[in-house]
Amino acid sequence: MSICSLNPGEKGIISSIKGDSKLVKRLFALGCIEGTEVELRRTAPLGDPIIINFRGFDLAIRKKDAKNILLKKL
Amino acid sequence: MINVALLGNPNVGKTTLYNLLTGSNQYVGNWPGVTVDKKEGFLFENIKIVDLPGIYAMDTFSNEEKVSKRFLEEGNVDLILNIVDASNLNRNLYLTTQLKQFNKPIILALNMIDVCENKGIVIDYNKLSKELDVEVIPIIAGKNIGVDKVKERLKEGNFTKPLNHRKFDFSSEKEAYSFIENVLKSCMTKKENMQESITERLDKFVLHPVLAYPIFLLLMALMFQLTFSWVGQPISDLLDDLLNNNIIPTAHQLLSNSSAWFSSLIVDGIISGVGGIIVLLPIILVLFICITILEDSGYMARVAFMMDKLMRKMGLSGKAFIPMIIGFGCTVPAIMTARTLESEKDRKLTALLVPFMSCNARLPVYTVFAAVFFDTHRGLVVSSLYLLGVFVAFLLGILFKNTYFKKDEEPFIIEIPEYKMPKISSIYKQTLDKASGFLQKAATIIFAMSVVVWFLSNFNLHGMVNQVDDSILASIGNVLAPIFKPLGFGNWQSAVSLLSGLLAKESVLASMQVIFAGDLSVILPIHFTNISAYAFLVFILLYTPCISTIGTMQKEYGSKLTLFSIFFQLVVAWIASFLVFNLGGFLYNLVYLFLKTNSLFF
Repeated sequence: MSICSLNPGEKGIISSIKGDSKLVKRLFALGCIEGTEVELRRTAPLGDPIIINFRGFDLAIRKKDAKNILLKKL
Repeated sequence: MINVALLGNPNVGKTTLYNLLTGSNQYVGNWPGVTVDKKEGFLFENIKIVDLPGIYAMDTFSNEEKVSKRFLEEGNVDLILNIVDASNLNRNLYLTTQLKQFNKPIILALNMIDVCENKGIVIDYNKLSKELDVEVIPIIAGKNIGVDKVKERLKEGNFTKPLNHRKFDFSSEKEAYSFIENVLKSCMTKKENMQESITERLDKFVLHPVLAYPIFLLLMALMFQLTFSWVGQPISDLLDDLLNNNIIPTAHQLLSNSSAWFSSLIVDGIISGVGGIIVLLPIILVLFICITILEDSGYMARVAFMMDKLMRKMGLSGKAFIPMIIGFGCTVPAIMTARTLESEKDRKLTALLVPFMSCNARLPVYTVFAAVFFDTHRGLVVSSLYLLGVFVAFLLGILFKNTYFKKDEEPFIIEIPEYKMPKISSIYKQTLDKASGFLQKAATIIFAMSVVVWFLSNFNLHGMVNQVDDSILASIGNVLAPIFKPLGFGNWQSAVSLLSGLLAKESVLASMQVIFAGDLSVILPIHFTNISAYAFLVFILLYTPCISTIGTMQKEYGSKLTLFSIFFQLVVAWIASFLVFNLGGFLYNLVYLFLKTNSLFF
């Protein structure tokens, strides 16, 4: 499952990130890596993008990119 | 001379620290080849501090990162001053681990330790210093606490080279982060506090599914009110009054003994030209102060977040929405704001589309024409022009997205920072920078253009002329007029007015008043029909922006994009105006005929 399937306020643990190599590199550099706990904070009023939180800060990301952040089954 | 490189993540107070360290002793330039600010300043005359762009890492391919990396490799750096947000060391130290690889002495300025305390975080500075093999100085840049310690330390010199017994070349981000986590485990404790932060509480309203847009519109309305009704415009009007009723008559008087051409050059050319632009300064500054406040408080990042879905349709990210809004006020600051966008593609595309947002200077032309030709439908006509501008920008955005800018699709991620109280010192500093940049431009490019236009409108090949009809400008107008014939306004006066509009959009009207010399409400209908008048307004809306905009674009994006923009807008304006005149004329006749036949039968 991906981070998009969380409800606002729910958390998960990242298992892997796929997709555009530039984006993956940026997310990695920010510490969005395997094993990191991530929370879906909120969705934009128009439904996209979303705000996620990991390592103590908020990051806005589009759903089409966030789909590639996969979470471990809890 | 000691060279210090100042580095850190975005939103950690880097600029505040830089301003505190260097005071007014700083220079802003551009890094070669990219639209990234190069800021250098001096502390105690012999310590040069280079403020590198805010970045999260050194190796994710952005211009900002390339610039920083090259500078650390080639810039003879004696010391890296790395500022980090102490309340979020986890992510901030990632950049530090990468900086360690350059094998330079590092001072780690732990900023916002007050926020840290509020969050219940306790850091063992000595231990952190040992673990990372760097010097650590805790500071609160926003309150100017601890900055003197940084200054003293820089003055002292004798920066110790790293010991080199610990390698920082990690094989992956994961390894780097697990190293950071281990370091933090040993020197940081955090009390779990479940209290909702101010940011969370504010975001409940600001990003609320229903309230978000009304709040945004309210803030924008407030900004435009401040700029155009309450503060900016009144000061501007005052200056304008001073210019026209005091400065110009005085100058006339002082120059009454000198030759006529010289007096005309100084007064009609230079004072009117340059003065007319400087008069706009209060508007631009008030707009800028508002934007800086919104930016520094953390609200702009949220606007970008809210508008992203909409803006993406035209191939832009949410952040580009802000320059577009500012474009309704004045295109110049709008293009300058585009600088803050992340990707080169977004900056360029925004700069190309922003001029279609109908700026304030075009409004006087609309109002006068609307009053003359569309008396009962004035409001409708003027608002239709604003909407047409947005529509054309949207259409062209989609076109560019699928052609010219296709290959360069940048991923959109932005940090949503915590809300901060904007610092007056920072607003003051940034506004001052903008003002001096603007005045510089007025003193150079606008000055030169004013002289050129003055010359063209006062001379012909035989010497000075009394009537503008005999001037070179009129000859140029006659040459250009046929271009506008298919649009319904093929007279040389329109051509010349449009040409003078390149200097400033307001001068279209000013020129018409000079050229037609009389009551416009009587004279204009001789030269225009309702439809050609509307076609003319459409042309005014869409054609090449004023020289201030062209100059700004040239400074920010170079000649190639500027030339393209000039040409491209002319073409767009011509086509749109052509369609309006011809289709409009056709429809008008159709409706007229329809009504006529109806009235025959009923």
